[in-house]
Amino acid sequence: LAAYERVIKPEHRKHWAFQRVQRPAIPPVKNRSWTRNPIDAFVLAKLEGRGWQPAPAAEPRAILRRVYLDLVGIPPTRAEQNAFLANPTPKALDQVIDRLLASPSYGERWARHWLDLVRFAETNGYERDAEKPSVWRYRDYVIRAFNDDKPYDRFILEQLAGDELPDATPETMIATGFCRLGPWDDEPADPKEDRFDQLDDMVSTTSLAFLGLTLGCARCHNHKFEPLSQLDYYRMVAVFNPLQRPQPGRADIDLPAIPPAARSRQLRTTAIWLARLGASPASAFGAFALSVQPRFDPAPRGYFLLESPPGPPATHILLRGKATRPGAEVGPGVPTVLVSAQPTFPRPEPYSSLRRLALARWIASPENPLTARVIVNRVWQFHFGEGLVRTSSDFGVMGEPPTHPELLDWLADWFVREGWSIKKLHRLILSSNTWRMNKVWNPSYGAIDPDNRLLWRVHYRRLDVEAIRDSVLAITDRLNHRMYGPSMYPEVPKEALEGHSDPDKIWKPFDEKDASRRTVYAFVKRSMVVPMLEVLDLCDTTRSSAKRTTTTVAPQALTLFNGDFINRQSGNLADRLLHEAGNDLKKQVERAYLLALCRPPSATEAAAMKQFLTSGRRGRTTTAERSALQEMCRVILNLNEFVYSD
Amino acid sequence: LTALTGYMNANRYIPNATPCRRTRREFLWEVGGGFAGLALIDLLSREGFFTRTANAEQPAASSVPYLLSPKQPHFAAKAKHAVFLFMNGAPSHIDTFDYKPTLTRFNGTPYKGDAAVGSNGRPIGHLMQTPFAFQKHGQSGLEISSLFPHTARFADDLCVIKSLYTDTAAHASGCLQMNTGTVQIGKPSLGAWLSYGLGTLSESLPSFVVMTDPRGGPISSASNWSAGFMPAAFQGTLFRSQGMPLLDLATPAGVGPRSQRQSLDLLARLNSEHLAARPGNSELAARIQSYELAYRMQTSAADTVDVNREDAKTRAMYGLDNKLTADFGRKCLITRRLLEKGVRFIQLYSGGGHLEDTWDGHTNCIANHKLHAGETDQPIAALIADLKRTGLWDETLLIWGGEFGRTPTSEGVGKPGRDHNPHGFSMWLAGAGVKGGQAIGATDEIGFKAVEERSHVSDLHATILHLMGLDHKRLTYFHQGLDQRLTGVRGNVIEAVLT
Repeated sequence: LAAYERVIKPEHRKHWAFQRVQRPAIPPVKNRSWTRNPIDAFVLAKLEGRGWQPAPAAEPRAILRRVYLDLVGIPPTRAEQNAFLANPTPKALDQVIDRLLASPSYGERWARHWLDLVRFAETNGYERDAEKPSVWRYRDYVIRAFNDDKPYDRFILEQLAGDELPDATPETMIATGFCRLGPWDDEPADPKEDRFDQLDDMVSTTSLAFLGLTLGCARCHNHKFEPLSQLDYYRMVAVFNPLQRPQPGRADIDLPAIPPAARSRQLRTTAIWLARLGASPASAFGAFALSVQPRFDPAPRGYFLLESPPGPPATHILLRGKATRPGAEVGPGVPTVLVSAQPTFPRPEPYSSLRRLALARWIASPENPLTARVIVNRVWQFHFGEGLVRTSSDFGVMGEPPTHPELLDWLADWFVREGWSIKKLHRLILSSNTWRMNKVWNPSYGAIDPDNRLLWRVHYRRLDVEAIRDSVLAITDRLNHRMYGPSMYPEVPKEALEGHSDPDKIWKPFDEKDASRRTVYAFVKRSMVVPMLEVLDLCDTTRSSAKRTTTTVAPQALTLFNGDFINRQSGNLADRLLHEAGNDLKKQVERAYLLALCRPPSATEAAAMKQFLTSGRRGRTTTAERSALQEMCRVILNLNEFVYSD
Repeated sequence: LTALTGYMNANRYIPNATPCRRTRREFLWEVGGGFAGLALIDLLSREGFFTRTANAEQPAASSVPYLLSPKQPHFAAKAKHAVFLFMNGAPSHIDTFDYKPTLTRFNGTPYKGDAAVGSNGRPIGHLMQTPFAFQKHGQSGLEISSLFPHTARFADDLCVIKSLYTDTAAHASGCLQMNTGTVQIGKPSLGAWLSYGLGTLSESLPSFVVMTDPRGGPISSASNWSAGFMPAAFQGTLFRSQGMPLLDLATPAGVGPRSQRQSLDLLARLNSEHLAARPGNSELAARIQSYELAYRMQTSAADTVDVNREDAKTRAMYGLDNKLTADFGRKCLITRRLLEKGVRFIQLYSGGGHLEDTWDGHTNCIANHKLHAGETDQPIAALIADLKRTGLWDETLLIWGGEFGRTPTSEGVGKPGRDHNPHGFSMWLAGAGVKGGQAIGATDEIGFKAVEERSHVSDLHATILHLMGLDHKRLTYFHQGLDQRLTGVRGNVIEAVLT
């Protein structure tokens, strides 16, 4: 093992991301009137260093639409537009931000970012691709965590070790579903290898999502590029190795979300009670009493793994990663390069090894050099489209260095001091003039810095599919705001099921009202991703995903122009326009623009639309008018402006 | 920019060994760099882009470089396209291309070897000879069973690899391994790697097309043609062989063709005005273009599956007039039409759903194989003949086979079924760059295990990539800290396959 330790050289520890976060001084700037908060000072100082100016502030309508899409994933209603536009000051925008952060839609929007990172899906993949029962409660947990502004350090503890916490509750039990979200083969080719695939899924996801480390690469050999050894990898495997599925075999079951400590107390009570009655737990009556006991538990059911007696199994380094070639035995631990000494792993309790709790406490500690940097960078990325570190799940030597290292560290330090509050971080970022810049291309800056690494504007980027779909539903006024609970099944064309081995069994019939809930509630089936979501770049459902890719391909145009969803919603929007604007073409067009794009049409646009609606061939019957209007709505929902906010 | 951000100093910026920088650049929108928006609009207008480009088959001169732009292979290669005839469910090599007289001699006796038999606890029977007659065909004298009388006419073109083995005896993981290189879900498939490595030759059709069996898709369905961790643009597109081949290809109900075009014109006009006010954002131009491509695809894709455009003789050759062969025949004929339009990789599935609806002959391997071979033999031979006629043969690679083989033992004593066998099985390659009329490697005397010139599935993958001009060790995609490859850390080109 010492040989593995020696792989990590002192110079490896010097990598920027492995250094403790130190709060840097806020740099001085010339144009002090531009700095609304320290973020602006860090950004402006770099720009001024080049003699550059930040982009002007975005127009009020644009910034309002942007803030809505960013925080809640749907555009402002007309009333909300009017309220802000009456007095569109920076302070008024602050108030809008506060209101949005307090709205339940915020959690529905931001939970999805987290679900990408934790490879959330509701089936196991592989041949039967069976449902993971009750796993939607994990999704609801994440939505609530964001809405309640659960401190991020606590969020980490609950997901990694919610069963081992001294104050474990059913909620924290459900949070530990994190470990069980990965794909699972119920008929593995090689059960031993498969077991290590399961552990790899947990180790890789944990290190990617929380630490921004590609530790999974050290499974078969020391990491080729990073100072991470196989020992580091298998120490982490040892942390998760005690976790077991609740029962062997192909069937996949959920459990009452009772913390194991409480359960073992409860079992003890039952045993004492049985002893008083003179019955042995091994007797038929005893077995009956123990078996019926969970029925009296009011706890909701959750989908998670548990540790089971007799304590943690031995974990070995696997030579070349092969389950058949165990090497030296290793205990639990964390990557050597990140610590001067391994954290203490406490003595196991009868109900659990407490290894994950120790790992989680080390990850969620202010001293951890990566945790806070990684999460503030993620929040930054979801607001700006790019992180300060653009490889947001790779902070290793192969990752990209931060464009604004001092700003990243300042934010990380501030975030921890402010109690790991994600909502406070949103407020800080969104109140900066940096985030409020416009997105206008500057040819001279662009020639030198085409990737906008200096942040001379805000990045231009397409909305993700959830925001597109939810916005369409909001605009047509068909969005079903019901939160939480089992997932809904968006409409899937019959033809899309054709490629499946069980085309008749895998999807539920279309119920328009239910399917009009927010996209975060759409059932995620690994072997059949809803075509509209898939074509518009939903993330990989099998692995932690740091950032959505944005492709621009013709099948997206087919989906958004010819597909049932948009055509149905275009009809709904036409009906809404007729209802709200009557037969007044000018009003119809104006209303449509305000709803969809948050601005009135220009004179040219209004003229083009009017011509489109009245062109001779269309006739003036009610049906013809409605279908012309529906056509116009289809065009509006397909506009670049609709899916790219300014 | 290094000096600019003041942070990318030499210590932190590892110069070479940074595949991430290379691949990342490829996958970020490359259009960002060279194109000023206004210039693009100008170019698009000059090319008549806003006035409706008509010719569906002509690649748009205005095309912005995008993910699927054609790329140079690593080295010159004959094959520009590949067709994978996937015999889903695992055909028995012993009953098709791997003749074992010894098995006849020991027919009905218990198996005494050490190979693991009995997938999922299925019953283990005795050794079972093939009921099908084998004959030598062509000048090469390649041995082929009576299941494939039509394909046998092209024996001198086939290169049968008799010594393949794989890591799993389960269909789900076996199909994944054959298609994506590993038994785990979530990896890019062979077709995705080819699309990534070579781009597309077709502007109006997807680069990677999959056609499944009417009885259902393969197990794990879309995971078998997934782009995995690559952008979705590289994934296989499911093409239906009847009706509308693609999802949402048809103009919506109630919208006429003229109205569709008018709406698209309005959209293009509004979008180009929007773009003009936002120069420098070339992804907007790419999105405008994607609507025109989609429009062209509406015509082009529908035309491609319209086999009524073929003459009666051709249709008969593919077996379209026979109920047994009509479905696979149609898919083979569409395949030729897709190849003509430049589609890079086409995968056809014979067999779908479960068990006897696939080549999975557990109960009665004889009847099962008669059915599935009967459905596919004539169409495959027709495809070969037709590719030779059109000249596409010289630039197309054909791959035939399933996820593994079947046991020389019966499933249960005295029963006619055969169980899964990952230890040895046969596949054939033919066409561009392949030395036909030969068999490579061998299984043991009874056909259980590959013993001579053994080739793992990763070797097959390395060979296929090689035939397409790609070095499997250089075709990498940086993801989560690693240069990922189709072949992982394995794979050797099977040199004997090559001409």
